[in-house]
Amino acid sequence: MIEEGQLDFIRRLVFKYLMEDYMPFPVNKTSCYEWANGLNIKKGGETILYTGCSYQLASIGQKFDDFLPKIYKIKGIESLSTFGKKFLKIRDERAIKILKNISLLLKKANVDFGYLYEDEPYSGTILLEMGMLEEFKEYGKKLIDLFNSHGVKNIITVDPHTHYTLYRLKELLSFDVEIKNYLEILSGKDLHSTYKEEYVFHDSCLYSRFLGMRDVIREVIKNAGITIKEDDMITGKETSMCCGGPLAPINKEISEKIAKNRAESLKTVSKKVLLACPFCYVNLSPYVESYDIAEVISNE
Amino acid sequence: MSDWDIAIKRGIEHNIPRVYKVLKEHPYLEDLARKVREGKIEVLSKLDYYIDMTMKSVESIGGKAYFAENTEDVREIVGKIVGTNKKVVLGKSMVAYESGIRKYLQSKGNEVWETDLGELLIQLADEPPSHIIAPAVHMTKERIRDLIKEKLGVDPGDTHEDIVKVARDFLRQKFLTADIGITGANAVAADSGSIVLVENEGNIRMTTVVPPIHIAITGVEKILPNLEYAMNEALVQAAYAGLYPPTYVNITSGPSSTGDVEQKRVSPAHGPKEFHLILVDNGRKKANEDPVLREALLCIRCGRCHFHCPVYRAIDGKMGDPPYSGPMGAMWSGIVYQDYKPALLCSHAGNCREVCPMKINIPKVLEYLKSKYFESIRKQ
Repeated sequence: MIEEGQLDFIRRLVFKYLMEDYMPFPVNKTSCYEWANGLNIKKGGETILYTGCSYQLASIGQKFDDFLPKIYKIKGIESLSTFGKKFLKIRDERAIKILKNISLLLKKANVDFGYLYEDEPYSGTILLEMGMLEEFKEYGKKLIDLFNSHGVKNIITVDPHTHYTLYRLKELLSFDVEIKNYLEILSGKDLHSTYKEEYVFHDSCLYSRFLGMRDVIREVIKNAGITIKEDDMITGKETSMCCGGPLAPINKEISEKIAKNRAESLKTVSKKVLLACPFCYVNLSPYVESYDIAEVISNE
Repeated sequence: MSDWDIAIKRGIEHNIPRVYKVLKEHPYLEDLARKVREGKIEVLSKLDYYIDMTMKSVESIGGKAYFAENTEDVREIVGKIVGTNKKVVLGKSMVAYESGIRKYLQSKGNEVWETDLGELLIQLADEPPSHIIAPAVHMTKERIRDLIKEKLGVDPGDTHEDIVKVARDFLRQKFLTADIGITGANAVAADSGSIVLVENEGNIRMTTVVPPIHIAITGVEKILPNLEYAMNEALVQAAYAGLYPPTYVNITSGPSSTGDVEQKRVSPAHGPKEFHLILVDNGRKKANEDPVLREALLCIRCGRCHFHCPVYRAIDGKMGDPPYSGPMGAMWSGIVYQDYKPALLCSHAGNCREVCPMKINIPKVLEYLKSKYFESIRKQ
């Protein structure tokens, strides 16, 4: 288990970065929005697609989980953030493909939306999920001001963590926006998949048990013509397990063990795993063949 | 695979399908669980009133009632009743463990034996329990065989039945010669002063009846408005723990008594001549004043959340401060030990909330405890 000093270091560092630059880690902000280049999505508007930088930062987040605890005693390390923000550019091809697909699916479903590009902030998920509620609320106020300054009224989310974080912001602070997830918007639409193999679906804990989207997602999968196999003891609402991701900053070893356990049980249902969360992907993909929903469905 | 991985896998494979089967076959249990939640909320909303009523009820049926503010008080009260050089049998009690009763009584020169098989194994191994109702769930039967061979000098053989037989033979002598029996309580009925205990082994029944003195130690949150609610609590606890119908449900209302001579109720009869109930606070009343933490006091200790928690499954039984483990243990570590760190291990999978018979929003309580942890380090 992580030491108290390390936890406090993470708390202070992440909060500092967020308050300075709306990013949890000192990386170049282009990492967050470059996926949208060339897609001709308008900037801003009342309805925006909001990625919360989740897909883009999921893999680098995992590296920071390894890195941060080891460097917390180095004096002056916090000042190196300026260097990171300028030169540390992350390009995750898979995340880019997923976000492009989501955007195309929404366009083909005739959804009118904009995007904030370089102004897009990180959601604050890490603060919420580690339990730093005071910091989360403080950052949340900044986040709400930013959305309000852009005149945002409707937010389309693309991942469960960002969606849940916004939902909690609405609960904890005054935040008058409509939040919809892209999978909710796509439910009932005519989709199809060129992937014909059978999958087992690994539910995101937040989608399934906190956001009530378990059936909606299954409907989207079904409408795309994808067959998913179920096992009550492995994919049931009460029995499906976490991928281990949220525990990584606290205890990397246990996080990885949870991921291995989950992958092993999923493999008993099907060797191909379908999922709908960047952190599930990052955590499970070393142990099992994984695909994000947005990688296997289209409406062409 | 480690011993833990093997043992927990076997435990889960036995327990989870069995709970679903029980709930499917007896659909009224969900109604009972809802009623128990209502009863517990009623008591928590007027806790001092119900503590007072319970203590008066116990006294009115010939028992003695005590209120212990903390674990030191519990040890002092129990120490005075037990004295020294006595033989004590213990029924599994979380609050007795929380109060360090076994080791305290041993330090006073008493011979003390846990009588729940899982708890006896924990005593023999001198290690903390890993599950709230199945304290030795981390031990494989192979390890248990070795442990019994080493500590009791008998090789029990390699089947589950063989192991149980050796424990039965060993404990029978302890029951029959014990001076004092100590148990917890699944529920306490405020209106009658009765305690309700649910079990399968028969050890509770013997612990409460064979020795001349019975002491029950339990938290104030176990009080329910009346005996009907208390009985329901026992049934619900057994069902969601996966052992339903329970083999035994015991009601103890004061010392033993008889009405067979002209219908005059006199005490004692064949069972204990003394009954003592110790109601323990140790952080519970403070938690009850907090609207988030109050939810945790609804826990009936069925242990179902443990088996549905991905972290508990992976972490070798060490999520929470003993005897409190798993998701409920992370909550209870905060309440009775003011240790908020176990809550940090919650990955907010949410399964615990889904399967909790009391509908406790465990992830929300743990999120709150996490924030209390960060509040405490922010102040340093």
